[in-house]
Amino acid sequence: MTRSPAAGGAGLTRPGLAWALPATAFFAVFALVPLALVAVLSFTAWNGVDSPRAAGLANWTALLHDPVMLKSLWLSALLTTLGVLVQTPISLLLGVWAAGHQRHRAILSAIYFVPLLLSATAVSVLWRALLDPNFGLPAQAPWLFGDGNLLGSRDGAIGVLAFVGAWQWTPLHTLIYQGAARAIPQVLYQAAAIDGAGRLRQFWHVTLPQLRTTMVTSTVLMVVGGLTTFDTVLILTQGGPGTETTISAYYMYEQGFKSFDFGQASAIALVLVLVATLVSLAMVRLSGYDAMRAGTEGI
Amino acid sequence: MIRHMTRRQVRANYLAGLGSLVWLGVVGLPLVVLLTTTLRTQSDYATNGPLTLPKRLTLGNYTDALSQGFAQDLANTCLVTVSVVAVVLLLVPPLSYTIVRSRRRSVRTVFRVFLLGLAVPAQAVIVPMFYLISKAGLYDDLTGVVLPTAAFSLPICTLILTGTMREITPELYEAMAVDGASPWRVFWQLVLPLSRGGLATVVVFASLQAWNGFLFPLVLTQSDSTKVITLGLYSFQTEHGVNAPGLLSAVVLSMLPVLGVYLFARRALVQGLMGMGGK
Amino acid sequence: MKHVSTAPHRRASSPSHPSRAPRRSHVPLTATALACAAALSLVTACGSSGGSGSGGSGVIHVLAYGDAGNTVEKSIVDTFNKTSKVKAVLDTIPGADYQSKLQTVINTPQAPDVFFNWGGGSIAPFVKAGLLMPLDDMIAKDPALKADFLPSVFNTAVIDGRSYGVPMRGTQPVLLFDNKKVLADAGLTPPTTWDQLLDEVRTLKAKRITAIALGGGDQWPELMWFEYLFDRVAGPGVLQKAVGGDKSAWSSPESTKALGLLKQLIDAGAFGTTYDSVKFTDGGSPALLAKGKAAFELMGSWEYATQQSANPDFAKNQLGYSAFPSVADGQGDPNDLVGNTNNFYSVRSTTKYPDAVAQFLKLMYSDEFVKAQLAIGNLPTTTNTPKFLASSASPAYSQYQYDLVERAPSFQLSWDQAYPPAAMTPMHQAVQRFFDGQLDAGGFVAAMQALPTP
Repeated sequence: MTRSPAAGGAGLTRPGLAWALPATAFFAVFALVPLALVAVLSFTAWNGVDSPRAAGLANWTALLHDPVMLKSLWLSALLTTLGVLVQTPISLLLGVWAAGHQRHRAILSAIYFVPLLLSATAVSVLWRALLDPNFGLPAQAPWLFGDGNLLGSRDGAIGVLAFVGAWQWTPLHTLIYQGAARAIPQVLYQAAAIDGAGRLRQFWHVTLPQLRTTMVTSTVLMVVGGLTTFDTVLILTQGGPGTETTISAYYMYEQGFKSFDFGQASAIALVLVLVATLVSLAMVRLSGYDAMRAGTEGI
Repeated sequence: MIRHMTRRQVRANYLAGLGSLVWLGVVGLPLVVLLTTTLRTQSDYATNGPLTLPKRLTLGNYTDALSQGFAQDLANTCLVTVSVVAVVLLLVPPLSYTIVRSRRRSVRTVFRVFLLGLAVPAQAVIVPMFYLISKAGLYDDLTGVVLPTAAFSLPICTLILTGTMREITPELYEAMAVDGASPWRVFWQLVLPLSRGGLATVVVFASLQAWNGFLFPLVLTQSDSTKVITLGLYSFQTEHGVNAPGLLSAVVLSMLPVLGVYLFARRALVQGLMGMGGK
Repeated sequence: MKHVSTAPHRRASSPSHPSRAPRRSHVPLTATALACAAALSLVTACGSSGGSGSGGSGVIHVLAYGDAGNTVEKSIVDTFNKTSKVKAVLDTIPGADYQSKLQTVINTPQAPDVFFNWGGGSIAPFVKAGLLMPLDDMIAKDPALKADFLPSVFNTAVIDGRSYGVPMRGTQPVLLFDNKKVLADAGLTPPTTWDQLLDEVRTLKAKRITAIALGGGDQWPELMWFEYLFDRVAGPGVLQKAVGGDKSAWSSPESTKALGLLKQLIDAGAFGTTYDSVKFTDGGSPALLAKGKAAFELMGSWEYATQQSANPDFAKNQLGYSAFPSVADGQGDPNDLVGNTNNFYSVRSTTKYPDAVAQFLKLMYSDEFVKAQLAIGNLPTTTNTPKFLASSASPAYSQYQYDLVERAPSFQLSWDQAYPPAAMTPMHQAVQRFFDGQLDAGGFVAAMQALPTP
């Protein structure tokens, strides 16, 4: 799309394809080739010791009938949904609040930000230590934690994963909402105030509609992040108790690197890629990013 | 007028203030416990629990952690981070420049491929990645961690940087064209200087990815001499998790460099994190 | 346990610099060249610390399970290096990830020359794939490599009539450990029968003490209860049949009885309610025993070394131990043991220095080795062990174990090591789900029948 005839003038020299080559080649070798290999491996039987053997559709039919796989998909969806339901309202409210000009706001925002400085590994390790039933918080606060068997029970383990996810990621989404809330023109609030709208109605009729695209972005981030959660599960629950927190991303690791069924693991990996791609495409559609890009491409 | 409005908004929202205080407890209390735990002895922790104040303050947990190998883990992580950033900085700017300026169909296809790459989780390719890296003789070698980590931060970094580069107006390019500038000169004298903000964001983002990376090191390395800090935390936790003061000291140590970046380059860091938003 | 110290695991390598053709023309090519240069400089920077295998460098790599026992492996490697031209390098991998790391490198150029394993099913897939060197030729040259070890132990690593491993640590029977002070305060003694154990559980529960510490988060500590109960009730035949491929062994009446007894113990609250949030590997359940929050723990003999390093006073004064109680009307001999018969060093068939490896393996029956193992509380399985029992860290403990092992009609290898590695995860999950009450006896039997056999 050209904006003006002048912009397309012959005097302009543009970078050739060769400029894009190094990055593309690098990406191809370390991302696209492995991706193609995943697809190939999903049709083989391979234990990591022998060479991969062609296995036809065996992995895929096994996957279809594998109760743990079906459950892992359901668990991935459950944890993702929980993440969205917990994090969205909190980060939305906090973000809008932090975009204002209250006293102490800067200090509080700085503290809220700290969990983001920790890696997912560090966060998981921290909470695993804090939630130890005998030497951690539950031993001292039985009124809150009961007997403290959080990671050993189904509901407890799922709750912990959802909570730790929220603890770590809410600050990021708060930040995203804060940025977006700052960008809302004050005029809209003034107009609403003149119409006699109170704070609640202003929030409902001005803030929320203005943050719609941001909500899409933030939600998609949560969904993609939730589907690919791995460190947290490995460190906090190892998919247990039993298989109660074996989400798909962890199940793939377990099938591959613990049960040494790399063919099966590859099939699960491909399912993950497909789901993540579908979600991302939906993101592009919903957020209208594609249209924006088309409008600015090739200026 | 605006000032007046703002002030009026300030006055009344006690509910929001209360909510923000509750969240302060949820975020702040664990952080306080994190700090106090690292400053007490292991037996003090085991006997009195995390919610009491330390009987006696000690820095022994930190010195222990450093002498037990976390110093080397931190050094390895630094090496990985710097290398990943170097690779990303070499590859992403020329690519983004091409995507923004070139009008070839093929370049547009390349961009679409990178966009699609955003959706590929690193876990998905870990099995063949292990296969490729070990065939290349890079297993248990930090290079083998750097290469895939860099590759997987390319899509998002490209997205961030093309966003910045698109804001350079066509008039500036035309002015350079009148001078008969080559693409190389345009890139060096116009595009790079005007993309500094985006570049800073890219640096921060790539560093965070490398610093916090876990899965690639987990699968692609094994020795103590190639251990990065996230793996150090993980293996300390699996072997000595009951030693919470020692473990949490290592957690704090792993965070310090990022905290430093936060204090000195807050803007770029915040932008970088927002960059995770894919915008 | 102390943090495994970071001995230099530097692998010798000669980083090569492929010549880079100088190019002047285009930026992107410069960039590519620069990227290559960066990558290369990285290889030179880190190459010395990893990768590149043992190709032609006069080094054999020895891979061991990383834990408190590594001090002995290190000193043996040092002894070897004093006289050998080919140098040995010890690499360790923390316990929880050992098996998965081993399996991923075993068929790559980075495979170790000599590696730690549990014998049995843990190496069967490697033998099948032809990756291991049969040691029979070495034994022919030096018969002591076989003759100086207790046969029952040595045979764990004999597969299809060929020897694939040399014992390299101590034997590790599973024992019932206790906190003497907690028992004395409650007026109890270590139980000799199952019914006595149940009674003591009730007494302790009334005193609000968790009777038995259990690291259910690791899953395998729960497995030990199954192993002993099946052995006591039905004898060692069940597992041998099952591993041999006879799945009906799992559905016998004895099997149902053993599961019923275990269920009774769990339902009596013997393990408290939080065991699945506790681990042994991170020091959690040993701390419960040492701090007097629990009275018993069923664990491998390494519990002693663990306590000695984490709670030395407790290990010295208050750590008690006894054999697993007998079960009335059981078909198994009450002297039977379960656990790890020993750990083994096996040899990768691609090693370039088989002679050096043979020399290295000879150290596993040396006096120095036996003394060093005894000093950290391990009980080696060489024929010269009894000579040195008095020099052990705890002579009484070593003698007790030695007598147990000598007397035992059967020493059953841990189920998860008798089965191939692929069975481990589903087996552990079934065990945990039975403890949680999510699987009943029938469900557990079905899960065991679904496991792959060698």
